[in-house]
Amino acid sequence: MSRASTGSRSIVQILVLATAGVLFALPLIAAASFGFTLPEQGFTLQPLLEAVADSGFAAQVLQSLILALLTTVASFALLIPTLVWLHLRAPRWLPLAEALSVIPFVVPAVALVNGANLAFRLTVPGFITSVYSLVPFYVILTMPLVYRALDAGMRSFPLRTLYTAATSLGSGPVRTLFSIILPNLRAALVTAALLCFTLVLGEYVLATLLLHSTFPVFLVQIGQDHPRAAAALSVITILCTWLLLSAFSGRGLARRRRAAAHTPATQPSVLPDVRTPV
Amino acid sequence: MSPASNLLLLESAAGDVAPTTSQAGRAQAGPPAEARSVISRLPGRDLIGLIPYFAFIAVFLLLPILANVWTSVHDNTGGWTLDSLKKIGTEQYLSAFLNTMALSAVTALLGGALGLLVAWALATLERPRWLKSVMLSFSVVASQLGGIPLAFAFIAAIGSQGMITIAVSDATGWDLTDAFALSSFWGLVVVYLYFQVPLMAILVLPAIMGIRREWSESARSLGAGRLRYLVQIMLPILSPAIGGAILLLFANSFSAFATAYAVSGGGANLIPILIGFFISGNVLSDQSLGAALATGMMVVITLAMLLRHLLVRRTTRWLK
Repeated sequence: MSRASTGSRSIVQILVLATAGVLFALPLIAAASFGFTLPEQGFTLQPLLEAVADSGFAAQVLQSLILALLTTVASFALLIPTLVWLHLRAPRWLPLAEALSVIPFVVPAVALVNGANLAFRLTVPGFITSVYSLVPFYVILTMPLVYRALDAGMRSFPLRTLYTAATSLGSGPVRTLFSIILPNLRAALVTAALLCFTLVLGEYVLATLLLHSTFPVFLVQIGQDHPRAAAALSVITILCTWLLLSAFSGRGLARRRRAAAHTPATQPSVLPDVRTPV
Repeated sequence: MSPASNLLLLESAAGDVAPTTSQAGRAQAGPPAEARSVISRLPGRDLIGLIPYFAFIAVFLLLPILANVWTSVHDNTGGWTLDSLKKIGTEQYLSAFLNTMALSAVTALLGGALGLLVAWALATLERPRWLKSVMLSFSVVASQLGGIPLAFAFIAAIGSQGMITIAVSDATGWDLTDAFALSSFWGLVVVYLYFQVPLMAILVLPAIMGIRREWSESARSLGAGRLRYLVQIMLPILSPAIGGAILLLFANSFSAFATAYAVSGGGANLIPILIGFFISGNVLSDQSLGAALATGMMVVITLAMLLRHLLVRRTTRWLK
């Protein structure tokens, strides 16, 4: 009897997951067929190519990629030395630093941009009007996730021991950073960079309200005249996000599976709190 | 066990050595000896390396927050006033606040219930492994979707010219958008659920996977039925995790801007959209009122997240 009951329960679970899968796939399939077809013509890239040809598509994509790269570099340049210092020299400040890093969670992007406008528009007028003024705010938006990813990375290897060993062998702090600490942080760096890229490439609120044109802003613009092209580009964007994130979650799950061998309760990972602003 | 304790020993040994070596390292470029000894006696010398981080947070995060709060209690001439905060209580803005809260609460509760179901299915399904792993990776990705691409995907699917709308109308002659406009309240609920359900699933999955099989076996051996086990054992154990996750979902949809903006074409009566109008100058520019609305949002989300923090602390204590 107990075998029968587990068997029937399994069917319920398969039903739940299959229904969820179909419901979640449906809008994507519909959008893809809307974006990549024309009535009585079948599959075509024509609407997409038309919309992309006469506008600054490549320039906007490039702009977003540059912003993503700058955000990643700036986050790393700010947070890696800070975290190394915190762990080696000032561990009692770790709780405060971590508490500060999660404040962006409670500040909606729209409130941050309103405050930034109030604080900088009149005092430093040249700052907000430059598209690169987005970078520090993107560093802030990604900070809760990037800080945690890097912090977890630092805790995953004996930082102090390795640092001391490197110093005793005559390595200076800079050399230790590049040849000892960064290689050990590789996994965390990849995770953090993926998070930065996913967030920045999709970020709309700050860019549009500070009147800068990035890829999502461009997407909204062409959505007004070329709905099919917008749908096609959306599907492409979602698929790219998928690729970026599945690289990330695949690694996260592998790590969790390894951790599960030692502890029955699942370890808290970076994953559960991850949510890019929408 | 022993490798770990060896590591701890090594680390504590390294901890004794580290200050001397790093001081020696600094001596080459550092200030003269007597000045250095003064610096090293200052209680805050550990803070030197943290100055860039604290300064960055202060300028780009705390300053904008303070600018919001400050502007919300000052009028345009710079005098103190509570008028803007009081205006939140007037009909127009109060209805937007209530509408945003209703949307957030509905999507958090519905998304929470459905997400819990998906998480349970993910945690307990064993046989077709591919279905489990596909849906798990799907949940991770879908929980991250949102914003403009998701909005356009929904417009292409069930908007007024959407594929599904047209297919339904061709098949049955019934116009889907009559009953269910994408830009209406329930239209937004459906779009938000697209990321709320998978987000809930991955938020509660660790807690559900933390449930031991022995608990259900021992409850059953003590004579508890399935319902009693669910109500008296599972519910108390999981409720902090579930409550915390639902609060995160609430905060998540409360602050969402881009999805609602793109789906409704800026027409939704939601607080983030109104603040957007204040910033881009589409309404008579009243900085103070815009700042008051932004401050109100931050207060609501801070309350939700504080509550979540307390609940999550309880969860981790339980599952340890």
